[in-house]
Amino acid sequence: MSSDGHEPTAMTFELLKTAVKDGGARLGRLAFPGRRTVDTPNFFGLTSRGVIPHVTPDNVEKHLLTNGTYMALEDFIERPQQYMTRSPPVYETPSPNNKPLQSFTAMPSSIITVLGSRRLPAVAAPMGNTNQSISVFTSTGFQAITTKQYINAIQTLNPDIAIPLADLTHKTSAPTSKRALRMAERTDDWIKEWFMEMYGRNKEPSKIATFAPVLPISYSIQWEYLERLSEEHQSNPSVLSGLAVYDADLIPDISSSYQNLDTLPRLALTTPSNPHQVLRQLSLGMDIFLLPFLSTASDAGIALSFTFPPPSSESSELLPLGIDMSSPEHAISLQPLTESCTCYACTTHHRAFVQHLLCAREMLGWTLLQIHNHAVLASFFASIREALADGTFEEKARQFALRYEPEIPQGLGERPRARGYHFKSEGPGEQKRNRPAWSKFEDEKKIEDKVADLSIADEQNGTSGLGSGVDSVAETPLVPDENADAKDLEEMGFAEKAENK
Amino acid sequence: MRAGPKLFHLCVHFVRDLSCLIFGLSSSLRRMSIVQRMASNKASSAALTFELVAKCSTTRARASILTLPHGPVNLPIFMPVATQASLKGITPEQLEATGCRLCLNNTYHLGLKPGQEVLDAVGGAHKLQGWKHNLLTDSGGFQMVSLLKLAKVTEEGVRFLSPHDGSPMLLTPEHSMSLQNSIGSDIMMQLDDVLVTTHPDKARMREAMERSVRWLDRCIKAHKNPDRQNLFCIIQGGLDLEMRRECCREMVARDTPGIAIGGLSGGEAKDDFCNVVATCTELLPDLKPRYVMGIGYPEDLVVSVALGADMFDCVWPTRTARFGNAITKHGVLNMKKEQYAKDFGPIEDGCGCPCCRPIDQEGAIGVTRAFVHHNSAKETVAAHLLTIHNVWYQLHLMGGARDAIIADKFPAFVKEFFNNLYPDRKSYPSWAVNALKNVGIDLFES
Ligand SMILES: [Zn+2]
Ligand SMILES: [Zn+2]
Repeated sequence: MSSDGHEPTAMTFELLKTAVKDGGARLGRLAFPGRRTVDTPNFFGLTSRGVIPHVTPDNVEKHLLTNGTYMALEDFIERPQQYMTRSPPVYETPSPNNKPLQSFTAMPSSIITVLGSRRLPAVAAPMGNTNQSISVFTSTGFQAITTKQYINAIQTLNPDIAIPLADLTHKTSAPTSKRALRMAERTDDWIKEWFMEMYGRNKEPSKIATFAPVLPISYSIQWEYLERLSEEHQSNPSVLSGLAVYDADLIPDISSSYQNLDTLPRLALTTPSNPHQVLRQLSLGMDIFLLPFLSTASDAGIALSFTFPPPSSESSELLPLGIDMSSPEHAISLQPLTESCTCYACTTHHRAFVQHLLCAREMLGWTLLQIHNHAVLASFFASIREALADGTFEEKARQFALRYEPEIPQGLGERPRARGYHFKSEGPGEQKRNRPAWSKFEDEKKIEDKVADLSIADEQNGTSGLGSGVDSVAETPLVPDENADAKDLEEMGFAEKAENK
Repeated sequence: MRAGPKLFHLCVHFVRDLSCLIFGLSSSLRRMSIVQRMASNKASSAALTFELVAKCSTTRARASILTLPHGPVNLPIFMPVATQASLKGITPEQLEATGCRLCLNNTYHLGLKPGQEVLDAVGGAHKLQGWKHNLLTDSGGFQMVSLLKLAKVTEEGVRFLSPHDGSPMLLTPEHSMSLQNSIGSDIMMQLDDVLVTTHPDKARMREAMERSVRWLDRCIKAHKNPDRQNLFCIIQGGLDLEMRRECCREMVARDTPGIAIGGLSGGEAKDDFCNVVATCTELLPDLKPRYVMGIGYPEDLVVSVALGADMFDCVWPTRTARFGNAITKHGVLNMKKEQYAKDFGPIEDGCGCPCCRPIDQEGAIGVTRAFVHHNSAKETVAAHLLTIHNVWYQLHLMGGARDAIIADKFPAFVKEFFNNLYPDRKSYPSWAVNALKNVGIDLFES
């Protein structure tokens, strides 16, 4: 409390409408000085290595329509083999406004930064966590990070919002009750240390907003931990600014048990895989979402196409949640990706271009889809807020559930290259992530080697990539698809069939 | 080549000083014919206007304005290559923000994807990619010959086997024109018989040169939109300067709105490259743009400008960005190197591109070398940022050359450029030293 002389953190969260008790969708407003105000429910962009995949920071600010981004510490702390002793560069970022994470990633200053330990979704670590550390997965492999190191990292990087460590398994199967109990105990120990280090009596209290984890285990197992959160918040509201919730179904229990925690914004670390799940979690009282399905859809060539409420229609046929833009049916379509979308991609370009880019594996295709898909989500949440304000949310959500297909389509287009830190190989039986690009004279492997050699050569030359012969590498596929025959080429107008002489 | 500089010295000031014209008129017959040609500094054809703004009083460098169907562009110019109607992940809006007003598409690639039918249905490549400015397309022949090793050139056109079913196909000059008409490029290139300049067979080289002339005639005949698309000829002839001269005369006689010097950018020695460019520019009319195809290294650009060339293209600046390379005035820096891991300066100090300009300026992104290092070869965004920087660098380099030509300080510009690139004068490349000496710049004189 302010009687302790503690200044409140800079963040404010205002609940505008909380008609429903015991959880329930709610309307709010989250604000940080100098950042865009976030009307909730809403979503934050999800970064990989500090970037929204395929979108440069200038376009994030101009076109992405997101007010916040989530970053994972594990994306910044790899130890390259030859430089094992080097400390992670991100910690040494000079920052005029004392926001090193934001400065390092060139994230526009209007955008709120959230820092957690793991990517979303996170790769399960084979060795698990210990009493003082968790396992994280960097681009150079797994490593342990201690609670102390993590707190230091947070204090150094100074994000707007930080999520303290939680003891999680990151496995799809539910933990045994014994493991669950240990998860609660460890997380409880770790939050004690966090509060002490970040806001302890003899310390300059941190301005970083803490969003404490709520574990994906039953309420009865973690109630003591939650009790602590409630008590700490009771005695000093500035130590706890929000909750990072791993399971939306816990919200009703928390809400009914700890009224003071009810006033805190809830950030969903639940990785919903479609908008139906978003609506369900939102109905339970989730405020801000992190949505891995956005980039997944963009990478798959899918333009999300849902609106809230769904368009009215006589037909009982279910509507798709997204459109596969790699499909040849869009080849000459000058329509925007979706009707009525006002995003940069839809107002400046058309389906035919995106279709072409996807088929040609040009990176701009994924960039434009990212911009569009984020815009679809932005307007989805804006409409939800309107409906919450005028009391039509429940009816519209019901219509949405009835009108749309359950899942986002898979998409047949080729994905961008997946990197090692995006996933962990599940073993020898696993399918290849990327189909090798078609190429006439050399197979993919040879080209990769060649490119690798060349970059090494460039590096050794120090200052010169000149005349390195990189141009000879066929990076653009030579034929439209491997099944095109002469007749196809002729029909496309590329050349004519020669008479056999 | 030797006669060139002297001649040019005599009539260089015509743009800013009309009295030069009178001086010129009183001189020899040969000079008189040149002056008459220069009586106006502007020439127009159906879909293009070329205005010579200034000429360097020492070298053959020229500053001009080329007005194309989609607006004016300042020459000399570097044109980035958006092979498949897209520049390596950056948006047309971002490309526009680098100052680019003329970029390339490759006919070969657009002919394959999306194909002529789609291009016709969509209404051309400008509309396909949402690019409001100018486009230049090649003929498709070069890619065909260099990418498909089975291609064979006959008088009819380029013969090749369909990559899938092996059935024979043919790309003719008529077909190339038809494709480029569908693309709707502001500048289209004739189909030529391209040989590497180092090709040993002189007879074959002559055949290719002569065939290229014949193909130009077929291209001119087949070109459907001369009122809104400009067809450029391409000078061939390998490293044989006499053959190049002959080709120049033939091509110039056909009066295309612009002229390209082709077949370079291959494995030839840099001295030979410079000799070919200088030989051609000497014979080319003043009031037409001169395009040296396929070159993009900064030294090559600066020297070629001094030799009197105006336009250049190359995939190198954008492709090299994907390998983590930043082009700077002090050379190419590979951002993947460990030394940049904690380098929190801009990609290039003093660069005005959106990545590098000071953070308090409009449109600044605030990118550091450390951040590019962090994501090089890991996230596509790092390549996009380097692409923006590299394209800016190339355009800005040509813009700087242009300003220097107009201020008649081009030799100083060239010296400063080489001084930045090679702190030790002893490592100046001899080909550049020689080529520049031949047009009046002594790099070693301070
Ligand atoms: Zn859109
Ligand atoms: Zn720059």
